[in-house]
This record gives sequence, structure tokens and C-alpha cells, in this order.
Amino acid sequence: MWAILRIIIGSIFLVSGLGKLLSPYQNFLYVVQAYQLLPSWGEVLTAQVFPWIELLVGFLVLTGLWTSWGLRGALILFGVFVVVLGQALIRGLQLESCGCFGSWVHLKPQTVIIMDSASLLLTCALLCKISQAKKFSLDAFFD
Amino acid sequence: MNKLLSGVVIVLVLIGLVVGAKIYLGPKKIQINVQMARSKGNPEARVKIVEFIDFQCPACAFGVKYLKTFFEKHPNDMYIQVKYFPLTNMHHHAMVSALYSECAARQGKFWALDDLMIPQQSQWAQLISPEPVFQAMAEQAGLNIDQLNTCLASDDARKVINDEKSFGQSLGIASTPTYFINGKMVVGTKSLQVELKTYFPGS
Repeated sequence: MWAILRIIIGSIFLVSGLGKLLSPYQNFLYVVQAYQLLPSWGEVLTAQVFPWIELLVGFLVLTGLWTSWGLRGALILFGVFVVVLGQALIRGLQLESCGCFGSWVHLKPQTVIIMDSASLLLTCALLCKISQAKKFSLDAFFD
Repeated sequence: MNKLLSGVVIVLVLIGLVVGAKIYLGPKKIQINVQMARSKGNPEARVKIVEFIDFQCPACAFGVKYLKTFFEKHPNDMYIQVKYFPLTNMHHHAMVSALYSECAARQGKFWALDDLMIPQQSQWAQLISPEPVFQAMAEQAGLNIDQLNTCLASDDARKVINDEKSFGQSLGIASTPTYFINGKMVVGTKSLQVELKTYFPGS
């Protein structure tokens, strides 16, 4: 069960990163700008770099290569999502879609913050059960 | 097998695959048809803008107003062309507003209707059926109402709108407003303002 959960969490990041990377970066820049949280240079940097981080974390967690580092990365990313979405909801920003999955899936921020909070807890649980989470992983193959 | 070496190789292969897919699936180049009725300005202008908009999208309305003000200051330096990108899953009146605009364009009245429709967007966007408001705007804009209604009933105008949206999707457009300024993709009004300032410093 823990290995399946690990694969699901990894797939979420992999799909999310791919969705953004295969679309022109300007689309994700528009999403980042909607959160009104960063200076202009920070928005451009985030739009260019963040999808690659999601892809890398997703790949590590999905395949179970350096699983514990991948899960720590996932934990940080979910934490960032919860904070960013939370501040947007508190400030009453008008976001039609969270922009989390590029142009592939449109979800309301209220829905996503619940999903992200649940995923954050699941990732914590996976880190606690790391030996079981490493089943069917590249770590299990190499170690 | 050495885990570190294998891991690094696997990650590099993944990055290579994504970069390859990005290049292979990359967006097409946009061409500007200067004959189009939904254009204004100098076709030889140094700044050519194609905007893909949804008439019910609030950011698009802001962008249209911003571009209009900018255009009034620099009429000989700009060429603007509008294309349809109705977000029908988000905005209930996206298609009908685009249909009225397309039918107005066929009578050479696109900009006249646009000047009425955009400033009043926040009002008609809340209506269950905005068509009586659009009909009144069409009359005010000087459209021939019989021709307008014939156009609205035909499938042809809808096909033009859907074809432009499909074309926009092939360019990588996911949201509105999306602009192509001298071919460079710019999404949203904040980026529009930043990009225009590079062409017109001090404006």
C-alpha cells in the first residue's frame, strides 16, 4: 500500500511538471503572476525553474530513486502549495483555476488546497514508513 | 552497478526526453493576415499585435481598454488584430459574444460593437441571456439587424470562431488574453504592459 501511495504522489508531480513544461512557459508565468506574491524577476524565474523541480521530484518519488530525498522534496513542494494557495484565498484573489497542472486540468483553488493538505500528510506518513515505501523502487534494486 | 552514476544518467535521459518533446511539440509560428476585418492600425507598423481574447474574460476587457489607450497614443506605430479564443467551459456567454463580434466584423462594424461590448462586460456577463443587450448594442453600432440575425443563425460564423480557437491551441495558448507581439507570445495584461514598455519606453 505504501509503495502505491508513493507512486501516486510521484505521478501527481510528474504530470504537473510535464503539463507545464510541454506548454509555453508564458502560460505558467501568467499563473504565477495571478498569485501576486513575487517581484517580476521572481515570477519569471519561478515560471522557468519550478516545473523542472516538480518533474525531478515526481520522477524520484515515482521510480523510488533516492526515495527519501524525493519525498522530502515533495513535502517542501506541498508545503509551498498550501502556503501560496492559502494566502491567495485569505487575500480574496480572484483565481478561476489554480494553474497547478498546466493546461491539462483546471481545478478550483479551494479544492486543491484540501488535496494538497491531504497529500502533505500522506507524504509525512510515507517518510515515516520509508522502508515499506521503497518496495518496487530503484532504491530496492540498487541497494 | 554504481547507484550514483546510474541515477545521474537516468535523470539526464529524462531531461533530454522532455527537452526533445518540447522542441518536437513546440508551437507553430503565427502569420498576420492584414486583410482581416478585425484589424486596425498601420499594417507596416513596427509593432504588430495579435490578441486572442474571450469577450467575457475580465482580464481581456482590461487588455482591450489598455491597448485602445496605447493605440490612441501611437496610431502609426501599431497594428492590432483580434482573434477569438472563447473559454466556453468557464464563461457561459463566451461563444455568443464572439458570434456577435464575428457577425459585426462581416459588416465592417467589429470595432464599433467592441467599443460597446467590452466596457459593459461586467453587466452583460451576469445576465442569464445577454442577447437582448447585444441586439441593442448592434443597433447602436449601426449594424443591419436582418443581416446580423442571418449571420447568427448560420454555422459559418461559429466555424470561424472554433477554427481560430483550434489554431490558438496549436500555438500553445491555454488562457486569455494571450498576445503575440511581433511574434513573441505574451500571456496576461501584466506581461503585455511590460512588453509594450520595451517598444515604447516612457509610455
